[in-house]
Amino acid sequence: MADYINVTSLNRLAKQVLAQCEPLNDLIVCGEISGFVRHYKSGHMYFALKDENASVKSVMFRSSAQLLNFQPQNGMLVLAYGHATLYERDGAFQLYVDYMKPFGAGAAQMAFDALYKKLEAEGLFAPERKRPLPPVPQCIGVVTSKTGAAWQDVQNVIGRRWPMVKLLLAPVNVQGIEAERSIVAGIRALDKDKRPDLILVTRGGGSKEDLWVFNSERIARAAVACRKPVVSAVGHEIDTTILDYVADLRAPTPSAAAELCVPDREELWQKIFILEQNIQKNIQNRCQVCYNKLDTLAAPQTMQRQKQAMQRREADLARLSDAVQGASARRFTDAETQLRHAAAMARSLNPYGVLARGYAMVEKDGAVSEVAGLRPGDAITLRGAAAQADCVVQRVHENAQEGTTL
Amino acid sequence: MKQPKSFEEGLARLQELLTALQDESTPLAQSVKLYAEAAGLISYCKQTLDAAKLQIDEIDASLLVQAEDVQ
Repeated sequence: MADYINVTSLNRLAKQVLAQCEPLNDLIVCGEISGFVRHYKSGHMYFALKDENASVKSVMFRSSAQLLNFQPQNGMLVLAYGHATLYERDGAFQLYVDYMKPFGAGAAQMAFDALYKKLEAEGLFAPERKRPLPPVPQCIGVVTSKTGAAWQDVQNVIGRRWPMVKLLLAPVNVQGIEAERSIVAGIRALDKDKRPDLILVTRGGGSKEDLWVFNSERIARAAVACRKPVVSAVGHEIDTTILDYVADLRAPTPSAAAELCVPDREELWQKIFILEQNIQKNIQNRCQVCYNKLDTLAAPQTMQRQKQAMQRREADLARLSDAVQGASARRFTDAETQLRHAAAMARSLNPYGVLARGYAMVEKDGAVSEVAGLRPGDAITLRGAAAQADCVVQRVHENAQEGTTL
Repeated sequence: MKQPKSFEEGLARLQELLTALQDESTPLAQSVKLYAEAAGLISYCKQTLDAAKLQIDEIDASLLVQAEDVQ
């Protein structure tokens, strides 16, 4: 009888041989998933990886499977990290997968879609999960890069709209290998801190790859676990991340998020103004009503007072009018006297009055003329009070000195 | 005039005061008192809006990261 070994020994031997083959212990295998099964009780995943020519049984234990950020599906091309060995019980050669990621073009999108489906299935995107933001927050926790434009935008918008609020920044890396952990830590730290009423997770625009970290399941779960409302604003309008779906409110940009987080000071000015006017109007009306009531009661007394006042004014008026009349009469008499004096004076100066006293007036060519201006031969008229004489000048000579003083 | 705890509280109180003032069963003397309170609150709210300046503080999340690394 030839030497024989039992099956257990065979399989153990094969396993030992395989274990000595170094490359099998640390592998990355590219293949398409088929026959995928997730054991509902243990949570382990069983499937085959295959290409055109071959296929290999694969298993991924629950502890590793839990950490996957996508849902493996039949037909999905993946890179599987792990080691290959023999499963002694069945003599089956299989791949033990520690980590897996979608491979090739569209793989990222596939992972996104898978995570989306997974979280949606858990109900994390449900509208009824969305919590309302506090209408007037006292403090807003901001998870973003301290040096980013997003942080500037947030400060500017909130500083303009509602500077009453306090901003509590959790400075994080928003890209690079540390970003995921850093953002998760930021969210948790702000959730733990008593001060913020809500948490804003934001970063400015960037390439799809730059923003990819916000599709992380860990970040999404950190946001879900938050006791405070979470607002997300990643990139621009068109960029939508997993975080946006789980957040209580999604804003298209950091500035827009800042606007959504706080009320507008201008609007409140307006509101206070209207309140003020209403209150003012109200109290005035109230007073008016009271005055009116009072007036009704006080009417007879008022009438009496008015009458007395009227009489007083009447007497005043009469006195005043007498005074005015007296004054004007006096002025009239004064003026008359003055006129009489003036008339007497005028009369005394009348040259014709002098003629009546026997004097005569020389007229030449119809006008009164001076004697000194006459020349011999001039025809003159000598005018007296009662008659006039036509004369011709014979001679003109000057009077003696004493005669001129008259 | 007692100060409200916050701007919102002030605003809410103003709204209350207006309602009370609009109520015709409020006696006049009471109305005048309420009016005085309202005037104080209005100036408080305006001042708060006017004087506010954005406060910024920072929290160190990296400490938390390290704490989690240790776990």
